[in-house]
Amino acid sequence: MILSRLAGRPVLLVIGLVAALLLPWFVYPPVALDIACWALFAAAVDLLLGFTGLLSFGHAAFWGSAAYATGLIAVHSGLPFPVAVLGGAAFSAVLAVPIGYLSIRLRGIYFAMVTLAFAQMVYFVANQWRDVTGGENGLQGIPRDFFGVDLSDPFFFYYAGLPFILAGLFVAWRIVRSPFGRVLVSIRDNSARARALGYSIDRYKLLVFVLSAALSGLGGGLFAIGHGFASLDGVYWTTSGQAVMMVVLGGIGTLWGGAIGAALIVELNDRLATAGFQETGIITGAIFIVVVLVFRRGVWGTARTLLER
Amino acid sequence: MTLVRRSAALATAGALLAGCAGGPGGGGGKISDGKVVLAVLTDESGVYADLSGKNAVEAVKMAVADYKAKYGGKAVAKKIEVVDADHQNKPDVANSKAQELYDRQKADLIVDVPTSSAALAVATVAKNKKKLFIDVGAASTELEGKQCNKYTFHYGYNSYMLAHGTGSEVTKDGSKNWYIVYPDYAFGQDMQKTFSAAVKETGGTVVKSDPTPFPNDNFSTFLLKAPGLNPKPQVLGAMQAGGDLVNLVKQYNEYKLRDKGVGLATGLMFLTDIHSLGPDALAGTRFTDFWYWNANQGNRAWADKFQAKTGKRPTAVHAADYSAALQYLEAVQRGGTDKSGDVVKQLEGHQVNDVFTATGTIRPQDHLLVHDAYIAQVKPGSEVKEPWDYEKILKTIPAAQAFQQPDPACKL
Repeated sequence: MILSRLAGRPVLLVIGLVAALLLPWFVYPPVALDIACWALFAAAVDLLLGFTGLLSFGHAAFWGSAAYATGLIAVHSGLPFPVAVLGGAAFSAVLAVPIGYLSIRLRGIYFAMVTLAFAQMVYFVANQWRDVTGGENGLQGIPRDFFGVDLSDPFFFYYAGLPFILAGLFVAWRIVRSPFGRVLVSIRDNSARARALGYSIDRYKLLVFVLSAALSGLGGGLFAIGHGFASLDGVYWTTSGQAVMMVVLGGIGTLWGGAIGAALIVELNDRLATAGFQETGIITGAIFIVVVLVFRRGVWGTARTLLER
Repeated sequence: MTLVRRSAALATAGALLAGCAGGPGGGGGKISDGKVVLAVLTDESGVYADLSGKNAVEAVKMAVADYKAKYGGKAVAKKIEVVDADHQNKPDVANSKAQELYDRQKADLIVDVPTSSAALAVATVAKNKKKLFIDVGAASTELEGKQCNKYTFHYGYNSYMLAHGTGSEVTKDGSKNWYIVYPDYAFGQDMQKTFSAAVKETGGTVVKSDPTPFPNDNFSTFLLKAPGLNPKPQVLGAMQAGGDLVNLVKQYNEYKLRDKGVGLATGLMFLTDIHSLGPDALAGTRFTDFWYWNANQGNRAWADKFQAKTGKRPTAVHAADYSAALQYLEAVQRGGTDKSGDVVKQLEGHQVNDVFTATGTIRPQDHLLVHDAYIAQVKPGSEVKEPWDYEKILKTIPAAQAFQQPDPACKL
C-alpha cells in the first residue's frame, strides 16, 4: 500500500531531484559530474532505443564531436562555458541531420551498423585533423570561464553544470510525454500502422534522432568542460557501446533507468580503478550479464514493476 | 517542494563550508598533512601494463626504501606512502583519478602515466592544483612544448629521442636508404617527421614513407613492396608500438625480409616487447633505448633487487620511475619541505646522478630530463646467456644530442 502510494510520480521526481542535488556529497565531485553527463547521454540514447525502437550504435559521434566543438569554442573565443556547451549541442544537432537522414531509412541491425559506420567516420576525421582536434593527444586545456567566477573546484562546477543536465532530462521527459512521443511509440510498435494512420514516420524519426543527438551533445560538451579536454575516446565506438549498456542496465524505455545505469557504471569504473584488480572489464561484464539474465527490464524497470504491483 | 528547497539550501550551505575547508592544508609542519604521498597513476590492465603497470609501483617503493635507508633519522619526509591507481589508458579516467589522488589521497607527486593523451590530461590537473607531476611513460613532446607547465616534468624518453637516435645513428652506420612505415596518429606522425629529418641530416635517403592504419594487424601490403622499391631500402623503419609492432615483426619474419637484405629498425621498443616476441624474432633489430638493466654493474645490482621483488627484469621505464621518485624525495630533502613551489625550484637545473642516469640534467627551460640515450641491438637467441639478457648496447648518444632543443612555445 505505502509502496504503491510512494510510486506516485511527484514523490519519485522529488527523490530524483534530491539525489541529483546531493550526489557530490556522496561520490567524488568530478565523478558526480561524469555520472550526470552520462545520465543525460543514456536518456538521449533511450529516447531512440526505448521509445522509437532504433538502436543507435553511433551516438559517440554526437557526444564526442560536441565535446570537440564545445572545447574549440571555449578555447578560441573565451566565451563563458554555457555558451560553449550550447554551441556544442547545436553542432551535434546539425551533424545529426545528414547522418539521421541517411540512417533512419534502415531498421534493426542495419540501422545500428550504419550509425556505427558514421561514428567511425567522425572518429577518423577527429584523429586526422590534428591541427584542430589535437589528434591522439586530444584537445587540451579547455577553460571553464563563467564571467570571472572561479569554478575550478569540481564541487561548485557540479552545481553550475547540473541545470543543463536537468534541463536536458526535462526535455527528454517532455518529448516522451507529448503527443509527439506517443507517435514515436506507435512507430516503434507498428510502423506500418502508424504510416497508415497518416504519420510521416521518416520525418518523426529524423526529428527524434536530431533531438537525441542534441541532448547527447549537451552531455558531451559539459563532460569536456568538466574534464578540461576532449579526446578521441569520446568519439570512439566504445563510448557508444557504454551508453547503450547503461540504458540496458537501467531499463530500456524507462528514461530514468539510463541515469541509474550511468551511476552504476561510472561509479564502478571509478572504484575499480583503485581496487588493485586488473581486469575491470570482467566485473562490469559479469554485472551486465546478471542484469540481462535476471532483471530483463533493467534495474529501474524491475524496481518500477515491483513498486506498481 | 519544500523538501527540494530545503535540500537546495542545505547543499548551498554545505558548498560554502566545503569551500572554506578546501583551502590549502593548514600550516604547521614543513611536510603537508605530516606525510609525503607518492601516487603511481599507470596502466594496470592494458597494453602498457607490462612495461610499466604494477611493477612501476614496486620501483617507486624501492626508491622510498633507498631514501629512508640513506637518510634514516635525518629524513625530512618521515612518513612516506605509495598509492596507485589504474587509468585504463583513458584520458578522462586519468583526469578524474589525478584530481582524486591530489585531493583525497593527498598525493604530493603523481608519477608514471603512460599514454600521451592521459599524460596531457594529468598535466592540466597538476597545473590547476599546483602539485607535482613527473611523467615517465608518455612519448609526446607536447609535455615540454605547448602544454608544458611549472609543475609538470618529463622523464625518460620522448618521440624526438626515439626517432632522432635511431634515425641518425643507423644511417651513420651505413644504412642509407630507408623505408618508413608509421601508424597514422599523432605519435606515429611525429616519429615519422623527426625520423625522416634525422635520416636526411646524416646523409641518408627516405625512399618512401607510408602511413598504416592504427590499430592494425595486417602489414603485408607494406612489407611485400619493401624489397621492390627503387632504390632498394636497406632498412625498414617501423614506428609502430606495442601490439602493432608485434604483428609487424611477425610478418616481417614470415616474409623473410631480413634475408632479402632489408634490415629492421624500430622506433619504440621495450625489454618486455622483446621478451614476449622472443629474441630470435627480432635478432639484429636496432632501436633507441634509454636504460638497460645489464649495461653495467650498478644497473645489474639494482635489477637484481627489482627481480627479487617482481620476478622480472626492469624495463627502462621502471628505472625511470625509480629515479623520478628518488629525485623528488631528494628534492624534498634538500629544500626541507614538500611545498610544490619549493620542490620545483630544487628540481629545476638539478644534475641527476643515480642508477637511471649519471649524466642527467633537469632542464629548467622546459622541465625535460635530458640524459644519455643508447643505440641498442637485439641479440640473436644463441647469444642470450641468461633470461632477459636481450640487448647489446652499440653506442651512447650523449645527452646534448639525444634530445631536442627547448621549444620556444613552452612558457612555464
